[in-house]
Amino acid sequence: MTAPGPRAETPAGPERAQPVIRLTGLTKRFGSGPDARTALDQISFDVTGGEVVALLGLSGSGKSTLLAQLNGLRRPTSGTGTVLGTDLARTGDAGLRELRRRIGFVFQQFHLVGRLTVLENVCTGALGSLRGPRLGLFTYPRSIRERALDGLERVGLAGHAFQRADTLSGGQQQRVAVARSLMQRPELLLADEPVASLDPESSAQIMRLLRDVADQGRLTVLCSLHQVDVALSWADRIIGLRQGRVVMDLTTRDIDRAEVMRLYTEVGADPAPLPATVAPSTGTR
Amino acid sequence: MSAIDQRPPLTPTAESGPTTVRRTLARPGVPGVAAGLALLICLAGGVWAITGLRLNIATLIDSAGNAVDFSSRMLPLDFPPAPELLGLLWQTLAVVIAGTALSVVLSVPVALLAARNTTLNTPCRVMARAVIVLCRAVPDVVFAIAAFRVFGLGGMTGVVALGVHSVGMVGKLTADAVEQIDEGPRTALRAAGAGRLQQITGAVLPQVLPSLVATALHRLDINLRVSVVLGFVGVGGIGYSLATAVNRLDYQRAMALALVVLLTCFAFESVSGAVRRTLLPEVTTRSRHSRWRGWAARNTGVKAAPSAVARAPGHAPAGTAVAGGDGTAAVRPRTGPPWNGARVRRTVWLTLALALVVASAVRSGVSWQALARATDSFLPTLGDFLPPGTAGTGGTLLDDLWVTLQISLAGTLVGLVPAVLLGVLAAGNVVGSPRVARFFRTVILCVRGVPELILAIVLVVVTGLGPVAGALALGIGSIGLLGKLVADSLEEVEPGPVRALLATGARRHQVFFGAILPRAWPAVLGHVLYQLDVNIRSATLLGIVGAGGIGYDLLNAARVLEFGVVTTVVLMVLAVVLLVEGLAVWVRKVYA
Repeated sequence: MTAPGPRAETPAGPERAQPVIRLTGLTKRFGSGPDARTALDQISFDVTGGEVVALLGLSGSGKSTLLAQLNGLRRPTSGTGTVLGTDLARTGDAGLRELRRRIGFVFQQFHLVGRLTVLENVCTGALGSLRGPRLGLFTYPRSIRERALDGLERVGLAGHAFQRADTLSGGQQQRVAVARSLMQRPELLLADEPVASLDPESSAQIMRLLRDVADQGRLTVLCSLHQVDVALSWADRIIGLRQGRVVMDLTTRDIDRAEVMRLYTEVGADPAPLPATVAPSTGTR
Repeated sequence: MSAIDQRPPLTPTAESGPTTVRRTLARPGVPGVAAGLALLICLAGGVWAITGLRLNIATLIDSAGNAVDFSSRMLPLDFPPAPELLGLLWQTLAVVIAGTALSVVLSVPVALLAARNTTLNTPCRVMARAVIVLCRAVPDVVFAIAAFRVFGLGGMTGVVALGVHSVGMVGKLTADAVEQIDEGPRTALRAAGAGRLQQITGAVLPQVLPSLVATALHRLDINLRVSVVLGFVGVGGIGYSLATAVNRLDYQRAMALALVVLLTCFAFESVSGAVRRTLLPEVTTRSRHSRWRGWAARNTGVKAAPSAVARAPGHAPAGTAVAGGDGTAAVRPRTGPPWNGARVRRTVWLTLALALVVASAVRSGVSWQALARATDSFLPTLGDFLPPGTAGTGGTLLDDLWVTLQISLAGTLVGLVPAVLLGVLAAGNVVGSPRVARFFRTVILCVRGVPELILAIVLVVVTGLGPVAGALALGIGSIGLLGKLVADSLEEVEPGPVRALLATGARRHQVFFGAILPRAWPAVLGHVLYQLDVNIRSATLLGIVGAGGIGYDLLNAARVLEFGVVTTVVLMVLAVVLLVEGLAVWVRKVYA
């Protein structure tokens, strides 16, 4: 599969000064007492503006939980996390909702309402910026509908605008989901295994699209993946998780495939950092 | 010695010690035996009820003479003049339509509060569920009696009675549908910062809409059937004229009106099917894909990009020429769906439906003043019904509750045999011939089309006032609903085991008993108990038209303004219904 390579240069300018994401000892436990399970264990790293990061790790290593934390869908149990200047632990529900409006999220299972038109599904991405509930395409302002059409054209699906979403293929549905997240004009884009349920051709299209969106909008992107080759050719940086801990954090230029594959081959190994795979300063270059 | 030689002998030998009898049947569990006993008690109750009511061939033969006599008294049918008939019909339809619309309006918030995934908190959920159970268990006639105190004669009484009672069914089915939605779209909207209400309108309601429309249309159908009984407590329309004709013993007019109701029910059934198909098109196959795409490409004003490669942000989409500079007229992209045949049809139906609801509400006298009056009178009216009392008729009420139970048990058992038979024949996977199955489905549909109340009125005249008429009416009514539920349960059985048995050369009846019935019978049992539950509630209503039981006491108490007695009757029926519902849930759980 072909995906655009990492950027030759990392973004420069004021946006580099303040990290978009800063996590320090972030921990998330589910349950309590003897049944408690630690999903994220002392996660620390920074992500600066414009970086395209791939999260790798086995199923259950904490990738999805981490993305949900970053989006404010779940709160950390301990540690601190700041995303787009918002403190994840201390901000109230309204503040977290405000944060979510600035973060696009692409899911593995697309999460479209099958019986609604493609255009209406895309319009729902703008709900956070609108007041009050909306029921039916005509309840969205024309400006939003036009922006949604722009978004659909951007993902190559403008001709399907008035088709029911469940009549599209998996790859097309994922492109609709990307268009929906673009309606937020996000400053940060999170993607949770966006190509896990797609065929190689559709996967290539989606990854190319995400990269293009990131490059053109100078977007910061965090994307969990299972495909090592895709991650190496697509991302600027790879963060590897094992049993809820960061065990690898390097730029794609500084790492080779064999090293990354150790995340998957050394199953059951101690979740200590893999030798020579974590950059000295919390992973930033 | 080889490994094979070391295996224990398959049959006990003389050397293997005393012969032990191996179990070839599973040891019955305590819950299984208890549930079996409970069902046997219900069955015995049914047999006892049929014997006690003297529901036998002799009674039916005795009634044959009455039937002949009745035929001569009802013929020729005496239809009211066309304008009067149309007026009555419109009056009834208006109450039914406005009542059902009210139930939908009330049910949506109740259902959202009752569903686990959309409720605010547990107390809210419990309260919403309690409202649903109460609305379902209290007969619409009781709501009509209460509403009559507020609104008096007129459509509003019927609208409120049907609307509130229907929340029991519409609310429950909608809450169930809300709980079964795909949570994914809602999570996506939540992740995008949408508020709770925005999530509900953007991701929950669109998924629930098909179920809501189907439920509303089904309820409309049911409300049309039961609206007749409201005439007996003073709600205007065909039911009222029918009740008056029956009280005058004017059977020529009564049966003419009954025939009109029957034909309206049949007409309704086909219209509601067409409405459902038009409002809820199932365009889920890829077959229409290209046709839609063609339409969209022609009508959106934007062309599909050849690939998913993104363009630079801010670039205007194809077909969008910005007015100004070069003086070209602005070509704005289409942001609404194209006006194709399907959309025109859908819009026409939707507009007609809305116009019909508004017209029905106006015809039924729904107004702000009426609603304001309802708000003012709610507590005083509720006070009339509390506390529950017996007015010295406690013994009679208990006896009549017993009779109602007898009628429902007998009715269920009478309907059970033909219902199961028809249900089996209507199940495509059992009979193996789609044509035969379709034929029997149609038979079931025809039986379902006949309102039980019309049946009860006819049977009251034929067999005389009393429980036999009620039991027979319920029996015939049960064939329609139970037959359909049995056929559905049989057809829902997964096809794998059926194919496996067919592959072994088993005959069709062996497949039925070996692969279909063992999987379907817990559901069938549940449906039978559900039918009993429905019949207990219907038996209460049938009492109002003279078919015996506690419904008669209900009507009398309302007539003499003993509303405490009405409450007692409701509570008694509620207790029995909840008992049967609990039994149904338990039996299904045990045999699941």
